[in-house]
Amino acid sequence: MISPKKPYPREVTSFRTKLALTIMLVIALVTAVAIYVAEGRVAANAERDLRLKFQSEVSGLDKLQELRNAALAERCRILAEKPRIHAALEDNALDLLYPSAKDELRDLMEGSDSSDQGAGSLNAKFCRFLDGAGAVLSPPDAKDLGELNTKTEARLAFKRLPDSQQVGYLNEDVDPANNAVDEVIAVPIFSTETGEVISALVVGFEPFEIGSSRAGADVKSGIWADGRLHMPSLSEEAQTILTNHLANIFSNGDRAQSNFIVDLSGGPQLVFYKCLNPASLFPHAYEICVYPLADSISQRRRLRWQFGGMGAVLLLGGFVTSHFVAVRFAKPVEQLALDSERNREQRRQAEAQLISTSEKLKRSTRYSADASHQLKSPLTVLRAGLEALLAHEDFKPEIYEELSTLLHQTHRLSGVIEDLLLLARLDSGHLRLQAEQVNLSQLVEEWLDDLAALPDSPEVEIEKQIAQDLTVTGTKRYLSLIVQNVLENARKYNRKGGRIRVTACGEKDEVRLSIGNTGQTISSDAQEHIFERFRRAVAGGAVSGHGLGLNLARELARLHGGDLRLVRSENDWTEFELCLPVAQPTAKHAS
Amino acid sequence: MKLPPSHAAPVMAKRYEVINRGGVLSTEPPVAVIYLDGTFPKLSSLPTKQIAQKNFAFVPALLPVQVGTRIEFPNLDDTYHSIFSYSPAKRFDLGRYRPEERPIPSQIFDAPGLVTLRCDIHEHMRGLILVLNTPHFVVSDPSGRFRLSGLPPGRYVLKAWIDSKTTRTQDIELKNGETAHVDFP
Repeated sequence: MISPKKPYPREVTSFRTKLALTIMLVIALVTAVAIYVAEGRVAANAERDLRLKFQSEVSGLDKLQELRNAALAERCRILAEKPRIHAALEDNALDLLYPSAKDELRDLMEGSDSSDQGAGSLNAKFCRFLDGAGAVLSPPDAKDLGELNTKTEARLAFKRLPDSQQVGYLNEDVDPANNAVDEVIAVPIFSTETGEVISALVVGFEPFEIGSSRAGADVKSGIWADGRLHMPSLSEEAQTILTNHLANIFSNGDRAQSNFIVDLSGGPQLVFYKCLNPASLFPHAYEICVYPLADSISQRRRLRWQFGGMGAVLLLGGFVTSHFVAVRFAKPVEQLALDSERNREQRRQAEAQLISTSEKLKRSTRYSADASHQLKSPLTVLRAGLEALLAHEDFKPEIYEELSTLLHQTHRLSGVIEDLLLLARLDSGHLRLQAEQVNLSQLVEEWLDDLAALPDSPEVEIEKQIAQDLTVTGTKRYLSLIVQNVLENARKYNRKGGRIRVTACGEKDEVRLSIGNTGQTISSDAQEHIFERFRRAVAGGAVSGHGLGLNLARELARLHGGDLRLVRSENDWTEFELCLPVAQPTAKHAS
Repeated sequence: MKLPPSHAAPVMAKRYEVINRGGVLSTEPPVAVIYLDGTFPKLSSLPTKQIAQKNFAFVPALLPVQVGTRIEFPNLDDTYHSIFSYSPAKRFDLGRYRPEERPIPSQIFDAPGLVTLRCDIHEHMRGLILVLNTPHFVVSDPSGRFRLSGLPPGRYVLKAWIDSKTTRTQDIELKNGETAHVDFP
C-alpha cells in the first residue's frame, strides 16, 4: 500500500519520473514508427493503384488508336491504289487530287461507313495531302475537308515524306480561349508501281480522351502538345501550376513515362504523364492524367487517427503500468534510501564515538605510560640510593635499621604504583586478557606454599581442600594476583594460632574458590565498603597494606567474567569466595 | 541512236509497254520517238488513229500524233475500261464503257505534249501519247534505229523523245534529195 501523504524521497520521485518518461518515449516512438510505415505503405499502394489504372487507361487508348490507325492505313492503301490519285500526283494535276479522292475523303470526314472496322472512330476533323516534297497541298475547297488556318496547315508539312505512319499532336490556334488539340496522323501513300512514297495523307482527329467514358470519375486528362497544356476540365489556375511543372520536367530531357505529385487547387494530385508518340517525326506530345489523392489522403488521415488512438491507449496503459511498476520498483529503492539515511546517521554516530574512544584510549595509554615513568623513575633512584647506603659498613646499627625500613617502604610504594597503574588500565578498558588456559588448582597450591615460607607469617594452620586440575581461561599473571591478594589478606588479618581454610571445587560451568580465615571480623558497616579503593576495614598499624588489594582483585575477577565477594565475616571467621567460569573443555589439558 | 539496254526479252515489233521508273515514264523495251521540230503547214484533215485496250494494256503503248489528231480508244477486252488522262496537254475522261460502245470513244488532241493514258479500273495500265506540232515523226526500233523520209529541205532541229523526262535535240540541215545520217549520243 502506498501512503500518499508521505512524500517520496527525491531520488524515488525522479526514478519514477524517469521510468514513466522512458515508457512513454518508447511507446511514442513505436507509434510514430508504425504511423510512418503504414502511411508510407498506403501512399505507395495508392500510387501503385493509380499507376496501374493510368497504364490500363493508356493502353486502352493505345488500342483505340491502333484500331484507328489501322483503319486509316487501310484507307490510304486503297487510296493509293486509285489510278486517279496516281494520275493527279504523277501528272502534276494536283488540282484534281482532292476531287479524285473525294469519295474516300468524305468517308474519312464523316466516318459514316459504320460497317468498317474501327470506322466509328474515323471521324476526321480535317484531311490534307502532302506532295512528293512533303509540302501541304491546299484543297480547292476547304469546306469539305476541314478548315485550317494557314499557320496550322503549314505545320502539317514534313521536310521529307515519312515512310511510316506518324502520329502527332498539334495545338490548333483557333482562338486563345478555345485552343483545340488535334491528333494528327500522317499516312504515307506508296506508289503501287514503284513502291516509293509519292505522297502522304495527313488526317486530323479529335484526340481520344482518357476517362471520358467513365462518368463520375474525378480523373482529369489532357494532352501536352507544343509546350502547352490542353486540359479544359482543369481550372485556369491549376492549369497554370501544372503547365509550369510540366514545362520544367520536359525541358530537362523528357522521359517516356513517370509521375509526380503536385498541389493543385483542391488538394494534392498525382499526375502521370506518358509520351503519346515516342517515335514520331512530330514533336513529342504527352498524355497527362491528374488523379486526386483525396482518397489516399483520407485513408492516411484515418490511419493516422487509428494509430494515434492506439498509441494514446498504449500510452495510457503504459503510464498506468509504469506507475505500478515504478511503485513496485520504488518500494525497495525507497526503503534503501531510508535505510541508507538511517545507516548514515548511525555510521556518523559510530564514527564520532570511535574517534572519541580512540582519543580517550590514546590519552589514557599516554597517561599510564607517563605515570608509570614519572612515578617509577624516582622510586628506582631512591631505592638504588638506599641500597648503596646499606652497603656502607661504617654506620651505626640504628642507621642500618632505619635504612632497611626506608627500603621496605620503597618496595611498598612500588607495589602501590603497580596496583594503581593496573587499576588505571582496568578503568580505561585498556587492559587486554590473553586467553590462555590456567590451572587454577596448581596456582593456588603454589601460593599456599609461598605463604608458608613467608618469614613474618603468624602461626596459622592451613587447611586446604582443592580439586585437581581446575582450569580457567585468562591471564595467569592477573589470576595469580587475585589469589595472592586474597590469600595475603587471610594471612595478614589472622590471629595467632588461627587457621586458614582454602577450598576449591569445579561446578558445571564455574570454578569456586573459597578462602576463609580466623581473626578480627569486619564490622557490618564496613562490609559494604571493603571493595572500595583505599578502604581498610581494620585499622591497625601492625597490618601492612594500602587498601587497593581487594578492589584490584575484584576488578580482575570481573574482567575474567567471574566475581569476588565476601561470603561472611562473623564469629572469628571471615570468608571470601572467588568464582570464575570454567575453561572450555577442548583446551582442558593445556598448561 | 543509242537507247538504254532492254530489260525484257525481245518482243514482237510494236509490242512494248510503258513503265514508270522513279516517276519517269518510258517504254519497255525502250524505243524513241524522233521528230523534226519546226513549223509546217497544217493539214486540213488528219487521219484518225486508234489506241486499243487489249489484254488490259494499251496497244500501242506509245503513240506519237500530230496536233489535232483524233484518237479512238476501242475496248477490245471483254470487260469495262475507263480511260482518262490528267496530263496538262490533254485532260479527258471517257468514263466506263464496254467493247460494244459505239461510236468508239475518241478524243482530239489539240495541244502538244505528253499525255499519259490510264484506266480508272485497271490501274496498272499506262499509255503514252506524244502530241507533236510536226507531221514528221517516227518511232525507232528497240535497237535505236530510225528512218524519216519525205522531209522538206531546210534547217531544222531534230528531236528524240526518249522518256517522259528526256528529249534530245540536234540541229540538222536537210537538202533536197539527200539522206542525212544523225546519231544521237
